[in-house]
Amino acid sequence: MNRQIRQLALGLMACYVVLFVALNYWQVGRKQELDARFDNTRQVLREFNKPRGPIVTSDGIVAAVSFPTAPGEPYDFRREYPTGDLLADITGYFTFAFGSTQVEKMYGDVLTGSTTEQQVRGLGDLLTGGTGSTGTVELAVRHDAQAAAKFLLGGQTGSVTVIEPKTGAIRAMYSNPTFDPNTFVNADFEIAQEIITDLQNAPGNPLLAQAYQERYMPGSTFKVITTGIALESGIATLDSQFASEREWVPPQTNDPIQNYNGSLCGGDLATVFARSCNIPFAQLSTFLGPEAMVAGTEAWGIGEPLPIDLPRPIASTFGNTDNLAQELPLLAIRGFGQSEVQMVPLHMAMVAATVANGGQMMAPYAVESTFDQEGRVLDETSPSVWKTPISPTTAEIERQLMIGVAERGTASCCIALNGGIPVAAKTGTAELGDPTNPDLSHAWIIAFAPADDPQYAVSVVLTNVQSTADVAATGGRLAGPIAKGMLDFLLTGPGAQPVVPAPGAGG
Amino acid sequence: MTETAAPTWYVEDDGVVERPDSPLARSRRTTELTLVIMSALITGAAYTVTALGTNAEIPPGIVFFVAILLGLLLCAHIVVRLVARGADGTLLPLAALLHGIGFVMITRLDDELAGLQATWSLVAIVAFVATLLVVQRASDLARYSWLFFFVGAFLLLLPLVPGIGVNINGARIWVSLGSVNFQPGEFAKVFLAIFFASYLADRRELIAASTWKVGPLRLPEPRYIAPILMAWGFAVVVMVFQRDLGSSLLFFTLFVVMMWVATERIGYLVIGIVLFAGAAYFSWTQFGHVQTRVDIWLDPWADPLDDGYQIIQSLYGLADGGLTGTGLGRGNPGQVPEAQNDFIFSAIGEEWGLIGASAVLMAFVLIVGAGLRIALRTDRTFEKLLAVGLTTIVGIQGFIIIGGVIKVVPLTGITLPFVSYGGSSLVANYVLLALLIRLSDSSARRLGELPDDPTPTERWKAWRLGRRLRRDERRAAA
Repeated sequence: MNRQIRQLALGLMACYVVLFVALNYWQVGRKQELDARFDNTRQVLREFNKPRGPIVTSDGIVAAVSFPTAPGEPYDFRREYPTGDLLADITGYFTFAFGSTQVEKMYGDVLTGSTTEQQVRGLGDLLTGGTGSTGTVELAVRHDAQAAAKFLLGGQTGSVTVIEPKTGAIRAMYSNPTFDPNTFVNADFEIAQEIITDLQNAPGNPLLAQAYQERYMPGSTFKVITTGIALESGIATLDSQFASEREWVPPQTNDPIQNYNGSLCGGDLATVFARSCNIPFAQLSTFLGPEAMVAGTEAWGIGEPLPIDLPRPIASTFGNTDNLAQELPLLAIRGFGQSEVQMVPLHMAMVAATVANGGQMMAPYAVESTFDQEGRVLDETSPSVWKTPISPTTAEIERQLMIGVAERGTASCCIALNGGIPVAAKTGTAELGDPTNPDLSHAWIIAFAPADDPQYAVSVVLTNVQSTADVAATGGRLAGPIAKGMLDFLLTGPGAQPVVPAPGAGG
Repeated sequence: MTETAAPTWYVEDDGVVERPDSPLARSRRTTELTLVIMSALITGAAYTVTALGTNAEIPPGIVFFVAILLGLLLCAHIVVRLVARGADGTLLPLAALLHGIGFVMITRLDDELAGLQATWSLVAIVAFVATLLVVQRASDLARYSWLFFFVGAFLLLLPLVPGIGVNINGARIWVSLGSVNFQPGEFAKVFLAIFFASYLADRRELIAASTWKVGPLRLPEPRYIAPILMAWGFAVVVMVFQRDLGSSLLFFTLFVVMMWVATERIGYLVIGIVLFAGAAYFSWTQFGHVQTRVDIWLDPWADPLDDGYQIIQSLYGLADGGLTGTGLGRGNPGQVPEAQNDFIFSAIGEEWGLIGASAVLMAFVLIVGAGLRIALRTDRTFEKLLAVGLTTIVGIQGFIIIGGVIKVVPLTGITLPFVSYGGSSLVANYVLLALLIRLSDSSARRLGELPDDPTPTERWKAWRLGRRLRRDERRAAA
């Protein structure tokens, strides 16, 4: 019998060798293939079932938070966005099946406590009786400013962006149309898929944060850039005189360029800037030439994705520049922000901020700081200069020019601030040149205040606005009051109150 | 095979010769103690790390947990030391390790089940101790072989009794008495193994003689193979009426292996395999649930959201674990339905990786090795066959269910011994373990590795006999 027992031992051993081989086959041999299968939810589930810290605005309002679910729910946590659609452009969303966006994406590892620093600290905390390791993200964005932006924008399509010129901190960045992440983040797969597909197909692309992920023709607000380039190059000074003309025919064409509404417009630089004549800036652009203009716009950061701390920023563009020397009329038109020039709304706020900040363009940021679960600071955003397109002297000249726009120019109708606080602005009405609808335009304004000690720079764009026989859809008239409302709120209104520190901030 | 010869040791009752245990026997107990403490520490560490992985918290009752665990295992060890001190020193620690790993995974999967499993663990250790205390000599078991047969058959068929049998997940293998549910089949396998060992030990020559000619075949006399056919019948009953493919396969393999080892004739193995293949093919053509199982095995992705879901999730879990695992408490083994029962091995593979899962495989191989070593060492046919039977149960049961969850064989619902959640399984396997330890101890005593002391029962019987003799002497003198 011992022989049979030995054979049995070999047989059973062989069974387990087979198991071991099969285990290797599944766990090592086919690991990558199985991990990559579309219906394999392990990886995303692991991410999804981690506790996730909150996103808090700089004035202490919770914009995103996770709650543990009842036992038996498919996921361990529910992600909720108490502010609804108000901060959706900033926080983005975090879903099981459809990925994540904005801060939820960019700061996912901080929120779940997965950064090396949090893990190391977490180990120490375990020994001293601490708990867990999620992280908190504190936004630079203020809830009150964001709410004011939403209120001022009303239902209009467009965006309002407020940044601090000295730091680049984004205090408000709201755009319409937007979305409420609560409608789908915790929904069943099919429902969530339907809602997301609808949002993707909706006009205006609500899922995008248009303020930094879309670009629009800037119209006359671009003249700040053209003027800056011209002043820097020395071809224009504050004393430059421009002939008063209705039309000007640029080289290489017989087609004349006209001022807005075909008006007669001319004078010194301050006058043409304040009245927003087109011809002087077409001339400046042409005289500068393609190379200087392209180099100048690049110095302003045009052509580069904005250096924001959120995912997938878009770049502003000066249009196709390959053959510009043979297309001087296009260069002329682009000099006042028409044709192929497209600017990101946030970038335009940065342009105003550059003038306000003595020529230094700060890198914009939406996240002020990150904290670990115990409220200790993990990281604080330190302001950094992104571009220095103009000298302080040029910036001072442009500041004066923009004050002129607010005091006696195209914005004078609508931008005067409460309490007589001095303000600087530049309006823009980008005529889209839609042959079927010639009166369609984007209404822009960029502004900063107080003009003598700039605290906030704002850009407002209302897209696809329609002029009527009675009311011309100009930037000053339509966007101006929104910029005024925003600056009033921040400087003399309820928003002027000192900012409440966020919970957890300051350790 | 019952022991009829009167023990002879009491004759020298003036001074029983004190003979020390051999160093080998003593070192076994030291080994066992060391390994038991190690498996308790491994379990405690795994418990802590899993809690850290799940909740990022050191479990509040960890010291208490390890103390209770160590206490239970030390109790078992001390009882082995007292009543079976010649036994193999690796069986108890291996079982304790598997049990501990299983308990950690069950706790991680479901807190409520963990409490129940803790209670069952206590009962299992008590059953282990009780078995060792009651079965003082392995050969005692042979005396009651027919009793074991009837009890085993009764337990096996009990779930079919209307009123107390319960269908759970399509299999009718549960009995519900009041609030207690148990699977009598888990115990039946141990009892039937004892019966078979005894039956075959008595009649192995007769069965092997094969004097009955049927055409070209030479078969044993029908009356000698009748019980074997009956066992085959049991296996069929279990498969058809209880829909429990795993247990059916397990019973059948057990019988065939024991027949083969007892008769030393490979023909029984062949016949067994042919019979099984026939039965399997027949049931595949006749029973929907068997067809489903086979179809899932062949291609789980044919129905990934329903029939194939469990096995696919198991494979995804294993793949996610990879070589080193996702980390204790950091995977999602809950994705696999019934992860705490049949699929606990894939949960281990996910979180402990190939390394941890291989450790579990190794533990089973070592248990099988230890069990078959017992079978080789002992010189008595009954004990040999019983050791073979019990070892085959553990080895084959492990293979069937592990093979099922990693798609080596069709999945059949059956528990992974010592690891899966379930009171019946745990208690029955600890009884089985105690029997193996008793067999090991008995053979060690006969090999002279330690003095073959009388058992307490034997002492008591001897004392009674001595009293009677003295009384007779007094009467004779009077």
